[in-house]
Amino acid sequence: MRFAIKQVGVGSERLGHLTEFVRSPNCAIETPTAALMTQGGSVVHLTAEVLAKVFTNPQLLLMPLSNTIKFEQGIKAQGEGIAKFAGLPQHIVCSTVNNINENTPLGHFEMDKVPVWSNNGKKMITADRYMDLMELFKPDIVLAIADGRVSLSEGHKRITKSVDRTCNMLNTCVNRFKESTHLQKSSLIGVVVGAGNPRKCEACIKQVLQHKDVISGIAISGLTDGTEDSYNVPMEKLEEIFQRVSDAIPKDFLRIVEGSWNPAVIVAAIQAGFDIFDGSYPLKLTNAGLALALKFDVNKKSEELCIMDMSDIRYKESFEPILAGCECLTCKKYTRAYVRHLLNTREMLASVLLNIHNLHHFDQLFYHARMHITATTYRVFKEHITKQYEIYRNNQENIPKETEGVQENDTPIKKIKVREDSDVNKINNSSSYS
Amino acid sequence: MTPKVVALSFTVGAECKTSRARAGIMKLPHYEVKTPVFMPVGTQGTMKGLLPEQLESLDCEIILGNTYHLGNRPGTVILKKAGGLHKFMGWNRALLTDSGGFQMVSLLKLAEITEEGVKFRSPYDDSEIMLTPEKSIEIQNCIGADIIMQLDDVVQTTFQDYNRIKEATERTSRWLDRCLRAHNSPNEQSIFPIVQGLLNDKLREQSAKDHLTKDVNGFAIGGLSGGEAKDDFWPMVSLSTGILDRNRPRYLMGVGVAIDLVVCVALGVDMFDCVFPTRTARFGCALINSGQMNLKHKKYETDLQPIDKDCSCSTCKNYTRAYLHCIVTVETVACHLISVHNIAYQMNLMKTMRKNIEEGTFPQFVQGFINEAFPNGHIPSWVVNSLSSVGINLEKS
Repeated sequence: MRFAIKQVGVGSERLGHLTEFVRSPNCAIETPTAALMTQGGSVVHLTAEVLAKVFTNPQLLLMPLSNTIKFEQGIKAQGEGIAKFAGLPQHIVCSTVNNINENTPLGHFEMDKVPVWSNNGKKMITADRYMDLMELFKPDIVLAIADGRVSLSEGHKRITKSVDRTCNMLNTCVNRFKESTHLQKSSLIGVVVGAGNPRKCEACIKQVLQHKDVISGIAISGLTDGTEDSYNVPMEKLEEIFQRVSDAIPKDFLRIVEGSWNPAVIVAAIQAGFDIFDGSYPLKLTNAGLALALKFDVNKKSEELCIMDMSDIRYKESFEPILAGCECLTCKKYTRAYVRHLLNTREMLASVLLNIHNLHHFDQLFYHARMHITATTYRVFKEHITKQYEIYRNNQENIPKETEGVQENDTPIKKIKVREDSDVNKINNSSSYS
Repeated sequence: MTPKVVALSFTVGAECKTSRARAGIMKLPHYEVKTPVFMPVGTQGTMKGLLPEQLESLDCEIILGNTYHLGNRPGTVILKKAGGLHKFMGWNRALLTDSGGFQMVSLLKLAEITEEGVKFRSPYDDSEIMLTPEKSIEIQNCIGADIIMQLDDVVQTTFQDYNRIKEATERTSRWLDRCLRAHNSPNEQSIFPIVQGLLNDKLREQSAKDHLTKDVNGFAIGGLSGGEAKDDFWPMVSLSTGILDRNRPRYLMGVGVAIDLVVCVALGVDMFDCVFPTRTARFGCALINSGQMNLKHKKYETDLQPIDKDCSCSTCKNYTRAYLHCIVTVETVACHLISVHNIAYQMNLMKTMRKNIEEGTFPQFVQGFINEAFPNGHIPSWVVNSLSSVGINLEKS
């Protein structure tokens, strides 16, 4: 894979593209962009057939080891890597050790080992073991194994451990990567942790950059441990971290942000020069029955909230698309009333339709960001998105939160939590069977 | 002169010269359905996570919705405002709805059946609710399916009390008249009467004969597939198809396992529905000619074949058994992928039967199918007996 910067904006924001992928040589992925979050090798809720209805081009996919480690024997037998094994051969795979948002226990570290919580329980993974698996999985991009599920508010001791462990493991990853024949065409990304402590973070960057001739970029982790509380960080603090890390690394390095960050944080990180984002935010919305509805036109003010609760009773007779003018399959063909009915009856199609919309709309956020960088109007766009998110956030603080606690790893058995409404009873009695 | 609008016209295109199997076309307001047909069940206005677009590419021509569930949620007010279920769920092909009666009895412990209708307690607020034949048709008119079912008096198939079965059979005929009177869109929707009588041949014969005198476009065979012995099941199907006339479609309710489909097509049934293919998918079971493949089994961990190499569904084109093994019962995607294959399997089986009926090779197809399904030659006696009753005498392979 090759990363090249095409244009730098007024701030540190930049346009780039990823090219020269082994399995999709003609594909170019423009940055800033998001990598679609997968679970068990599939974009959550979407089969390859349905994914092809959402995106016609190859997509960047984030594949955590925690939910793909069970593929080991199968991939070994097939010998063609994880993308082919997961039925998505033309897509671009970025492997990482954990999905930060998976609802798994924190801690449980051992020296130079990271716990991976698969369906069969805890597995302790060393850097060598990780690289063994990467040589089998053959992803296009390898994020080095790291101890990155650490919130900004962690104490000095935990952060120090996180930095030490991450840097030690990176040394092994780099050595293994250099020797590997299977990963010759892949790119290795160093992980920067310790963001909660500027001195430790600086030390971490310094150690990561010792390998700057081998690695193609950095991923910033250690901003959150995946819990909802750890995402509540003042924006100024995050902006400061993004800028500080960004300034400390070479310009031509690919920069990745891990974690399920909201649109306001994302547009801030883009401004600081970050290129690739963990795409688990739209999935988090989908699993909570929410639809993303940002207005991208900077000249239009909107009264409507940028996140809609599709299980809300107000949509029960709304025969309009989730978002007027949206070009996604869901909005072109299905109504809010139908999506609400599917949520209300806990049907699996609710997640399919919502995820189609949320993934498309989230992708549009990056498309518009790129357009504004090209037009050197990014700052206006950033303010426009930030404001919409703030209005939503303020609105949420005034009503009791009921959608929290919905887990990332929803299975067919664990269903979406839907607000029960007394209206169902009324309908039963008055119009159906009375 | 404008041609009279008909809600259903059925043409038998080919008949098997040996058995009662026939292939035909059933023209419905929303689609022309080729029979014999299997109708997947989309209970609440959706097919277990699949998009209507996917069902179309699987060649599904008609699917089923459940009146009891749809009447509760989203309810008739919303369905009416949406312009019917077709529009609400984005499905442009044909739909069939049941009457809601079966769910009353199967889901609700406290259902009480009187001449007026089925009285039950709402599972939502415990209030007393009455589903009458008129109410069932009113809801089905709102849903707007191409084919709708009469409300029948449902008795557990294995029930023994003759008087109760007799009462239910006769009441079903009386309720049919009430349903037909209450029907307000006969040009768009066809009511099918349901042949009842459980396992009593006299009552079943009477029921079928009663229904034959009515001005209806097709018939359903009910009260079977409820846990009775197969030796008791097939004679009732055979008795029913033997009485019902050849110019109208015959729908056997709740049957969908491959061997049952093959036997009942031979007995002259045109339409089937069953939740089995999508339900079994959720447990990680894929349908194949030799039965079911439980993908959870460890032996598939490194099996790089598709579920079925001869299947052309998107699952078999893209995915290996090894990958499916890793994600079944964990990821929603696994459920969708196996549902796609299982529906494709059912569609393909029906298509193969239609083709063999048209080409005059249906008995040979049945022999081949049986050989594959029972490779050790232990063919169940009910299969041998039912097929020989319509002239297909199986040879042991």
